Amino acid sequence: MIINGKKKIWSDYQKEIPDDHYFYVRSCIRQNFFPASEKLFLEIVRDRLNLDFYETEHHTTCGGIAYHSDTIPQETVMTIVARQFALMSEAGYKNYVASCITSFGLYTEILDTWYHYPELEAKIKDNLWKTTRREFNKPEYLAHASDVIYKLRDKIASQAKYKLVNKDTGKPLKVVEHIGCHYSKMFPSKGVGGAEYPYVLTGMIESWGGEIVDYPERRHCCGFGFRQYMVRANRGYSLANTYKKFESMEPFHPDMIITNCPGCPYFLDRWQYVIKEMEGKTYGKDGQGIPVFTYEEVAGLVLGYDPWYLGLQMHQIDVEPLLDTIGIKYSKTDKYLL
Amino acid sequence: MSKEVLIIGGGPAGLECANTLLMLGYKVFIVEKDTEIGGHLRKWDRLFPESISASETLERLITPSKKAVVFNEAEVISVKLTNGFFDVRLSDNTELHVHSVVVATGFKLFPAEKKEEYGYGIYNRVITNADLEASFKNHSREILQSKRVGFVHCVGSRDEKISNRHCSKVCCVTAVKQACEFKEANPDAEIYCFYMDLRMFGRGYEDLYLKAQNKYGIRFIRGRVSEVAENVNGELLIKAEDTLISRPLKVTLDLLVLMSGMSKNPDNDQLADILGLDIAEDGFFVQHDPTINSIKSKIKGIFFAGTVTGPKTIPETLNEARSAALAVHKYLSE
Amino acid sequence: MGKLLDKLNKDYRFLEGLNACINCGTCTAICPAAEFYKYDPRIITDTVQSKNEEEIEKLLKSDTIWYCGECMSCVTRCPRKNAPGLIIMALRTLSMDTGLFINSEKGRQQYALSLALNNNILNYGYCVYPRTFKYKDHPEYGPVGKWIENNLDALHKKVGSNLDGQGPGILRKIPDEDLQELKRIFDMTGATERMDTIEKYSLSKAQELGMTKEEYLNYIETTIEIEHHK
Repeated sequence: MIINGKKKIWSDYQKEIPDDHYFYVRSCIRQNFFPASEKLFLEIVRDRLNLDFYETEHHTTCGGIAYHSDTIPQETVMTIVARQFALMSEAGYKNYVASCITSFGLYTEILDTWYHYPELEAKIKDNLWKTTRREFNKPEYLAHASDVIYKLRDKIASQAKYKLVNKDTGKPLKVVEHIGCHYSKMFPSKGVGGAEYPYVLTGMIESWGGEIVDYPERRHCCGFGFRQYMVRANRGYSLANTYKKFESMEPFHPDMIITNCPGCPYFLDRWQYVIKEMEGKTYGKDGQGIPVFTYEEVAGLVLGYDPWYLGLQMHQIDVEPLLDTIGIKYSKTDKYLL
Repeated sequence: MSKEVLIIGGGPAGLECANTLLMLGYKVFIVEKDTEIGGHLRKWDRLFPESISASETLERLITPSKKAVVFNEAEVISVKLTNGFFDVRLSDNTELHVHSVVVATGFKLFPAEKKEEYGYGIYNRVITNADLEASFKNHSREILQSKRVGFVHCVGSRDEKISNRHCSKVCCVTAVKQACEFKEANPDAEIYCFYMDLRMFGRGYEDLYLKAQNKYGIRFIRGRVSEVAENVNGELLIKAEDTLISRPLKVTLDLLVLMSGMSKNPDNDQLADILGLDIAEDGFFVQHDPTINSIKSKIKGIFFAGTVTGPKTIPETLNEARSAALAVHKYLSE
Repeated sequence: MGKLLDKLNKDYRFLEGLNACINCGTCTAICPAAEFYKYDPRIITDTVQSKNEEEIEKLLKSDTIWYCGECMSCVTRCPRKNAPGLIIMALRTLSMDTGLFINSEKGRQQYALSLALNNNILNYGYCVYPRTFKYKDHPEYGPVGKWIENNLDALHKKVGSNLDGQGPGILRKIPDEDLQELKRIFDMTGATERMDTIEKYSLSKAQELGMTKEEYLNYIETTIEIEHHK
């Protein structure tokens, strides 16, 4: 591998990410399965770094999962999104940050469609007025929450208590990065680093001491597939895709996986359990599984937060072996305390 | 007193145009950006379809051109047309006063690293057609002893994503030629060509294709390569669809050759400004009368020759070069 | 132009998604669904491009269009800037609007999805809501999933959620006025109509099969009677 080739690509796909004054919208899946990650995101930007991130209780789902399961029309999802933008305008913000990657992809797609079909934007404006008496402005900047953490990665590194390093050997941990499909596959120029060699997670890992592992199925979808997971009869598709990724990364012996999509860490985590139950096959050191994290969880770990404060007890794959490898102090018995 | 002609570009087009003009008794100046004349031809090993020697071909073009005055490592900075003369200033401060100008600045090979999904410049075993020609020239054992080899057609061509809609014409036959030559150098090699369409348009090309299949056992797969990745052993994993049987496939290879196409010369925009000419959407110069008079520009006294107006083979380039010289002669005899 | 094609041409995703396909196969090469299902996005794009009403109708009735996972990997690579993933979404929409979805095993599943997701949105304002995500329907949630479900309120309190609470926060109770706005949006923009259409065809099919609504839902969620894989 020639690293300079990648560095050149990363420099071509720089994205402008504002530092401050964001309107924040939540992710359905993360609130359900990784609530502490959403908590930590706001804690890092508001409490640690004194930035202005605003949330209103009136915002809703963007409707992305329903849209990609084809249960709501495009016009519906566009009007819901317009409503979200209206809430942003009403609160006096121009920078919009989404916690979910399908959302981010959806917002990007909608803004692009409106750009090409202004009559559609006019229609949605009209819809929104008729149904809610709200008016909207489009955001000046649209970011994903991982873009913001990426931008702040060095600040986080400067406050870090731990590094992503094996405390016994001193070697950087081998980290697999998994980018959600809807981050940059549709619009590569809207993702940090583009679609082929995205840098948003790589940058974080490099900043925090780890080493990125490239493996053949790195860019492959985790297999969520919306309807392919949600309907029981289709779940084999979802499992097969994740299985494929694990078989591909196994020879590289990764220590951990970092992801920036809501669904992906859920699937990469749970399907390892299923593969063990169905096939008897496990991955990772001593067959303990490869722990999967959201980027806020990794940020939280390096900053020295208690793992159970970060919600890691909600993972199926145990994180303790990795915490021990890094040398993070925690209480084993507190894990399932409520 | 013989009239003076300036040729911008010292590749095959510029050289053959110079040769014809010299024969007709004109004084010829060649301005060449690079350290030596010869253009891309200097880099090649053998030429399709019969694999003749590139260096010998180049020698045949250079020898008659010795009477031309060559400015190496120089570019045209400004051109002013007054009373039928072109006052030209070069980057080395030379001032020329010529009667006619031929634009023969050629093409640029598509920078394959721009097709990021193919991993050029990232994975060691991914090379371009130009790299392979160099490997042939230098008898590079490391490259030539690769056992499983793939050729990817249309890299940088027929691709809306990188804004190069045009077909570069010569890459298909070059791939077939290189595949045969590779097999000659390494009879144990397993070679695959991944193509969308196989453009064997020229005389002898279909014969080469047949030979590639019959004599050399080259496998042709009709499917554009979607992605290249590297496994833990450094081998390459290629994903394509065999569209003729509608099945996606994955192949493990030891070497991948990207057929980089003919792309626009990045200097074109500035040169067009200087000369008062236009660039088309595909990045090549606009021809005034492309069907009847492909070497004519919109300005009297300025002519084109070679790939500056689009992808061409060498015989086509040389014929255009001679045609441009004749057009200069006609223009200057009026 | 035929009736089906007329309708497709009104869908912005169809307009964005089809820009003339040259059958190069780049999309199929990278498609996760093409690896595991009898699915080929290139063939679907080519079929639609052919403008053959009969073939398009066959597609709308088939399981084929329901195999896509909408990952959009095809969009990244297509040299003609087509988007098979977007074409699929347009075909799925048309399949439901015309009722043809009821003919395929995978198509019939839309009823389950429509009820689950759209009701979550209208009742709670989220696509996924913990009290309607049942461990018994998701054994892959794992033993930790069972523990989460058994301790839902306490656990969410511990990790900092505002489950069903007032004001902003994780899994807050979204105010009723906002949910009513969503309902009005659903009504005006065709989401309610789609739910009704899906239900109409589905209940009719249930009756044909002699099933109650619950039996039918269980049937469509779990049935695999056709060979879907290569």
